[in-house]
This record gives sequence, C-alpha cells and structure tokens, in this order.
Amino acid sequence: MARPSENALLQATGISKSFNGVPAVASVDLDLGIGESVGVIGPNGAGKSTLIGLLVGSHRADAGTLTLDGRDVTSTAEHKRVRAGIARAAQIPQTFGRLTVADNLRLPAVFGAKLHGADVRHWVDEVLELCGLAAQAHVEAQHLGLLSRKRLELAKALATRPSVLLLDEVAAGLTEPEIEQIMALVRSLREGRAILWVEHIPFALRGVCERLVVMDKGAKILDGPFEKVWADPELQAIYMGVPDDALA
Amino acid sequence: MDRPFNLSLLAVGFSAALAGALTFDPGMLFLLTEIMVVLLLAQMWNLLAGFGGLVSLGQQAFFGLGGYLLFIGANGTQIPFWVWLGVTPLFVGLLAVPIGLVVFHLKNAYFAVGMWVVAEILSALFLRLDFLGGSAGIVLRPGGASMTTNPERLLFFIAAFGFVATIVALRMFLKSTIGLALLGMRDNPDGAAACGVDVRRMHLLVFVISAIGCAAGGALYYITTLYISAGDAFQMNWLIIMMFVSIIGGLGTLTGPILGTLIFFAIREAMTSAGFSGGTYWIVMGALAVAVLLLAPRGLWPLIRNSFIRKTGKATR
Repeated sequence: MARPSENALLQATGISKSFNGVPAVASVDLDLGIGESVGVIGPNGAGKSTLIGLLVGSHRADAGTLTLDGRDVTSTAEHKRVRAGIARAAQIPQTFGRLTVADNLRLPAVFGAKLHGADVRHWVDEVLELCGLAAQAHVEAQHLGLLSRKRLELAKALATRPSVLLLDEVAAGLTEPEIEQIMALVRSLREGRAILWVEHIPFALRGVCERLVVMDKGAKILDGPFEKVWADPELQAIYMGVPDDALA
Repeated sequence: MDRPFNLSLLAVGFSAALAGALTFDPGMLFLLTEIMVVLLLAQMWNLLAGFGGLVSLGQQAFFGLGGYLLFIGANGTQIPFWVWLGVTPLFVGLLAVPIGLVVFHLKNAYFAVGMWVVAEILSALFLRLDFLGGSAGIVLRPGGASMTTNPERLLFFIAAFGFVATIVALRMFLKSTIGLALLGMRDNPDGAAACGVDVRRMHLLVFVISAIGCAAGGALYYITTLYISAGDAFQMNWLIIMMFVSIIGGLGTLTGPILGTLIFFAIREAMTSAGFSGGTYWIVMGALAVAVLLLAPRGLWPLIRNSFIRKTGKATR
C-alpha cells in the first residue's frame, strides 16, 4: 500500500519535536497522497496532536523536513502554510465567538483561500451548505452548541480550500448520531485532497479512512491498509485493556 | 446602510464641533478638549489591547513623544504649529515601527512590561536633554515668539471633529477585510493564524496606528497647556486613564471606551466640584474598575448591549 514517495502531496521525513527535552514526536516519516484518507490512532500522549501541529506549522520541527507538492515548507510560518493549502480543524474549536458563523468562514475564505469580492460570498455559502450550517449563518459563534462549533471548526478549515486537510479529534465529545453526521461530511470531502484524521474513537475512522497509522510514545508504530493494521497484534497490545466491543 | 450612517456621523460631528468651538467659554473648551484627547487615547489603547490583543503598559511613550516633537518642531522653525500637529503623529508612527519590531520579541506580560520600560527610558532621556529644558520642561513658542492668544477654539474644533473622524475611520476599518482579520484576532489569535492571517503583521499595523493616535493626543493636549515637561508627558497616569476607561466601558468595542471616558469625567468633575481634593476621584475609579471586572468582566457596554439583545432577540434572528 505504501505509495511511491514521488506521488506524495505532503511528505514528512524524520520529523521530530521535543518539549523541554521530552520527545513528543520522534523521527516520524509520513506521506499523504491526493484522494487519500489516513486515520491516526494511539493512546494519550502518543504525539498525534503534536504531529498535526508540526504539519500545519503551529509547532516548529526540531529536526526533519516537510514538503508540500515537492516544496520545502519545514520552516514556513503557519499562515503561509495555510495559504499554500494545509489546514487544520483543531481539537478545541478555534472559532471567533463574537463574529457570525458566516464571518467566521469569510475570514479563511479571504485570507486562506485568497478569494475576492463575490467569490467570497459564493464560497462561504457553499461551505455553509456543505457543513449544514446555513440555518445558523447569522448567529454569533459564541451562541452555538458543541456539535455546531465542531462543524464550524471543520468548515473554517475547509473554507481555506486546503489540498491537505488535517482533522484533530473533530468527533470527540459528540454523540454517536452526531459522529455519523461528521463521518458523512468528511467522506464527502475526500475527493481531490488528502485527509489526515486523528481520532480517539476508532469507529469514526473505520468508515472513512482506507489507511491507518498507529502512534505510540511519539513514534509511528504501524502504517498500512486499515483492516490489516486494525488486526495487527501490536495494535491490540497498545490498546490492551480496552475491550474489543469498545473498538468495534 | 453603513455609508449614510458614517456620513451623517461626520456631518453631526462637524456641526457640533463648530457650534461648540464658537459658543463655549475658554474654561469649558479646555475641559472638552481634554475629554476629546482622552476619548482618542482610550480608543487607541482599545485598538491595541482590545482588538489586537497587545496589552501595552507604555503607550504614554507615544503620547509624550507626540507632545515633545511638536514643541521641538514648532519652536525651532517658522512652520505653523498646526502643520506640526499633522506631521508629528505620522513621524511618531514611523518611530513605532522599529520599536515594535524589537518589543514584539517579548510576549504577553513581557511585552506589556517591555513597553513600560520603553516609556521610562524615553522619560529619563527627555529629563536629561538640556536643550529641552531638562526637568524644567519647555514653553510653546512657535518660531521662537511667545503665544499671545490661546487657540482654544481652533483646538477644540480639531479635537472634536478629529475624534468623530477617527471613530468613522475605525468603523470603516473594522468593516474592511483587514478589519475582519482584526476582529478574528480579537476573539481568537490562534484561530486567525490558522485561517491564513499574518498575525505579526497585523500586530505591527495596530501598534503603529495606536502610536499615531496617542501622539496626536499628546500633541493636541500640550498645545492647550502651552507647556510640556518629561515628568508630565511620559507619566503613567496617561496609561492608567486609557486602561481604566477602556476596561470599565468594554474592551474590543468602539462604544465601550467612549462610555468609560464619560463615566471617568463625570466622576472626576462631580467629585472635584463637590470639594474632594486632588486625586481622590481615583479611589472611586479604582473601586468602580474592580466592581466592573468582578461583575461584568467584559465591561459595561457589552453588558448593556447583551441585555438589549436578550430583550429583543436580535442576535438569533
């Protein structure tokens, strides 16, 4: 399954990050191709969110390189990476509380996707529709419930028109029917872009991602076709103590 | 809908400034000009801290620089002082660029204290410059000649109309796409960066605008007093007023600092005319600030606005 690296859209090589001497991500290699959806799982502290931070640029790598479409972006600032096509939906929604939902999306449409004039309005309307937020377009984000805020966070990332979409626990804290809505949304976004989805709830990834990466203690342990990795004894060992039906 | 409102605001501001300048007595004009200066300063601190998220404890540096540079320019040349009133703030804005680029290396509380240090350094420097009178300060003598009349009517007009024009300019700015980025930064700076906003550049922009506004306030204020000294121009009191009225009124809104300024002067004037001495009103202001921070941390204006929205249900429309 491992793609030839010359086809990779986003390619991390030996990427590492330590906090106060404690390695959070240790020499991870990762390729993402267009049209590919990759799930990332691992226990708390495995370095999943730090890895996403390194890819989007909110963390700077201590070592290793990152290329987007063959261009080195290892030391590129976050806002420039966003403009180049890497966007993240964060674990804790980073929404703009006193702006309306529509203005929350206008911001990434203007500054991330670099749209102008009427294009901004059309694109914002499209994203609102796609993410099921059209009815709340004129509500201030601070008045939204958790599901809507999670959707808005995803919509904000999408509004930057990313070629690489990084999802950090966008399903965490939601009920099962709500998770299914998010899954359907992510599934609809797969075409034409690469998606990396970190999630604690494996069943959400199962229906969406065809490839699964397992991280533990900052390192990439497993990487391959979803079902194959899923059945790997090493994964079961990492998740030891979690009953099978909780993962199903 | 916004354009007619801005235009009528300008028209009303122009007429009110003109009418006020022609009718009020000099004492009243002096007080009103001071109020306009504080309104401007508060709005500039609010722009920086409330919208930009940069809490500075050193904006009095730009206030003092504005005053001093105007005196230096007006006293040393034949160019009229009101030309310097226009030029000085822009020059201070240029000076703010290198200051900002250095101080921005400090974050949050370190930035706040770093700006305080900048103001203290300037204060110490101007105290020691003998050609500026040292600690004795200097008197405004345009072109080397003493002022024979006080231009209080012109100054009030400039201050009042200038303030209204500033509010209209800020309204237009916040409606623009750059303003949208600033509003996003106000609510969530990390979220703004994740949307592709260059937060550092935005910080520099509001820092420079704030420096220009504070310098204009300083230049205006010290023309009304006709005298400037480093001990007065760079004193922390200017900063405390900016902070207090912004926090009491409501940071991150345009109306909040205006409300805060009106409360500040109402308390000060009421207590002074009731016979309380000197700075007693600061005790009341301090108590009010503590009460507001405890009961309505976002300030009085958001409290009023939100209760109005709750009553009319406007926000969920």
